[in-house]
Amino acid sequence: MSAITSSFIHPTVGFYALALILPFLRGKAWKWLLLIPPVIAIWSVMTVSPGFYGELNYLGQKLMMGRVDKLSLVFAQVFAVMSLIGMVYALHVEDKLQHIMACVYVGGAFGCTFAGDLLTLFIFWELMSIGSTFLIWLARNPVSTKAGFRYFMYHTIGGLFLLIGLLLRYKAVGTFSFDAVDPHHLMAYDWMILLGFCVNAAVVPLHAWLPDAYPEGTVTGSVFMCAFTTKTAVYVLMRGFAGVELLAIAGTVMCVYGVLYACIENNARRILSYHIVSQVGYMVAGIGIGTAMTLNGATAHAYAHILYKGLLFMGTGCLLYAAGTTKLDKLGGLVHRMPWVMVMYMVAALSISGMPLFNGFISKTMTIVGAAEAHRTWLAIGMEVAAVGTFLSVGIKLPYFAFWAKPANDKIVLKPIPANMYVGMAMGAVLCIAQGLYPDMLYRYLPFEMEHAYHPWTVWHVLQSFMLLGFSGLAFYLTRDIITPHAKTNLDFDFFYRLIGRGVMALVCKPLAWIDDRWTEAYRVAGLSGLLTLARGTMWFDTKGIDTVVDGSAYTVQNVGVLSARVQTGRLQDYLGLAAALALCVFAAVWYFA
Amino acid sequence: MSLFGMLLTELRARRGAVGVLFFLGLAGLVGANVFIRPHEAEFVYDAYAGFWAVFGLVVGLALVIVMKKIVQPMISRGDDYYERNN
Repeated sequence: MSAITSSFIHPTVGFYALALILPFLRGKAWKWLLLIPPVIAIWSVMTVSPGFYGELNYLGQKLMMGRVDKLSLVFAQVFAVMSLIGMVYALHVEDKLQHIMACVYVGGAFGCTFAGDLLTLFIFWELMSIGSTFLIWLARNPVSTKAGFRYFMYHTIGGLFLLIGLLLRYKAVGTFSFDAVDPHHLMAYDWMILLGFCVNAAVVPLHAWLPDAYPEGTVTGSVFMCAFTTKTAVYVLMRGFAGVELLAIAGTVMCVYGVLYACIENNARRILSYHIVSQVGYMVAGIGIGTAMTLNGATAHAYAHILYKGLLFMGTGCLLYAAGTTKLDKLGGLVHRMPWVMVMYMVAALSISGMPLFNGFISKTMTIVGAAEAHRTWLAIGMEVAAVGTFLSVGIKLPYFAFWAKPANDKIVLKPIPANMYVGMAMGAVLCIAQGLYPDMLYRYLPFEMEHAYHPWTVWHVLQSFMLLGFSGLAFYLTRDIITPHAKTNLDFDFFYRLIGRGVMALVCKPLAWIDDRWTEAYRVAGLSGLLTLARGTMWFDTKGIDTVVDGSAYTVQNVGVLSARVQTGRLQDYLGLAAALALCVFAAVWYFA
Repeated sequence: MSLFGMLLTELRARRGAVGVLFFLGLAGLVGANVFIRPHEAEFVYDAYAGFWAVFGLVVGLALVIVMKKIVQPMISRGDDYYERNN
């Protein structure tokens, strides 16, 4: 399946080509090839002109691989940038399979972004699911193996809802086209597709796979995963389901729910995972509200979020790589030993908190102001509550307990961090700050026309943000002894998933065990005696039939052998005589018959 | 230890001064809010000076106290409940 046309190089092609050739390369120089597909992708999305590319026939259907418009381009652009940062960060990894699976996964995300129909989308959707599962498994420990299985099972079920939806829709409307639905008249199949999308967007209560799996991924794999799965889902929700009221409410619930759990979580990467749920909540809410401003806000926030969340996972990845754990109760007092990791982390932490100077400030406020201007006051207040919680847990709690709390720790052994990991983080940090300072870097790519342009850098917005965050900081200062993380497992909705899982297992296993029991009994009673009779019959046949024939022929062969052995005396003259007699016989026969 | 690391260690030793600066900054923000108001209030009450300061403080305190003191004791189990740590 080639998706190349004369004027558009599909970014997926580069990633899949690399995934195919990587196993055959030897030496160490192959690692520089990792940077080529992202560079091609960046070049491709920055130069291509909008249009439809790469239509092909597959399974009797017309598939559209390259729907290039403003919406798909802005998402593809940040995917391309993030893939480059992620590959730089992963440059030291020698395990080729990790890179191959990252390529499969990232290529899948581009495939989904440019997919013009639901069937193409589904194919790449599943490829993403496979790639990301391996990025968890390849941490190669028993915990990640189990987490990977749970993750894969869950995404398979989500993918099945998408498949059911698109097949039912095909039956009803006769096409796999993927366009915006009428948000007020959703059909049953639209709900199925929406449900499939919502699983990947981690919409509460379908979200628990995310904080379950992402903390168990590889150091570098989680950097990719935090960027692509949920944001691809945000993209397809925006493409298909803008203005669906349920999403506006579900998104705001996500915003708040994520920060609540992040407040009490101990594992740094799990705190960040809950904050993916929370931040994606802003996007889902923006999509649900569905005005041009909130849709642009959701897009801008997705762009900014990918950059700072990648940077957050890179920072905590450094902790995991160097110290071997991301548990806050085991860390602390490390700031003098990893000062630059702390600085890079703080750039991302202030970005996610929406601090002026950083890119979260120009994207988050856009969605909130958009919600308020659309007179969705309660939703906007929910988002402000989440903003406070975000600064509390990611902005202060995580770095405080990882780097500052406890006296300087000189005992813990830290593995030196490779230079490429610092380079990857620096790239992310520079972009976070640049977008915060020059919002137009991001705003110019926003896909929807707004009545009036949004200006984040007003005196009031800056003052409001500083007040909100400053006094959240005061709240942390006052409760710093209460918020101290404890090594606990906090039950979430995956408690119910596990119940359902065990229920399904019981539902399948119990009848099977019953059938097995009965079968064993029947076998013992009827089968065994029958078999014994059969055995007696075959024994009789064996002795009377087979043995007579086989033994008879064996004796014949033996007798012939004895005779021929006697003939072979070993004396040359006997052989000559025999040969002469044989020749005479042949000659007589020829003379007689001729 | 790098030079930058030493600088941060020094900063940690002077946390008292940092704290004073922090509180001065907070006071300055509320003071500025008396003069700088939004063009149009988004939530009615944010027309008053110090609304967002109170909002941030109250929501922050409520989040931490409710989650750590009330919710976590109810929903937390041992660290190894899901066998995620061995």
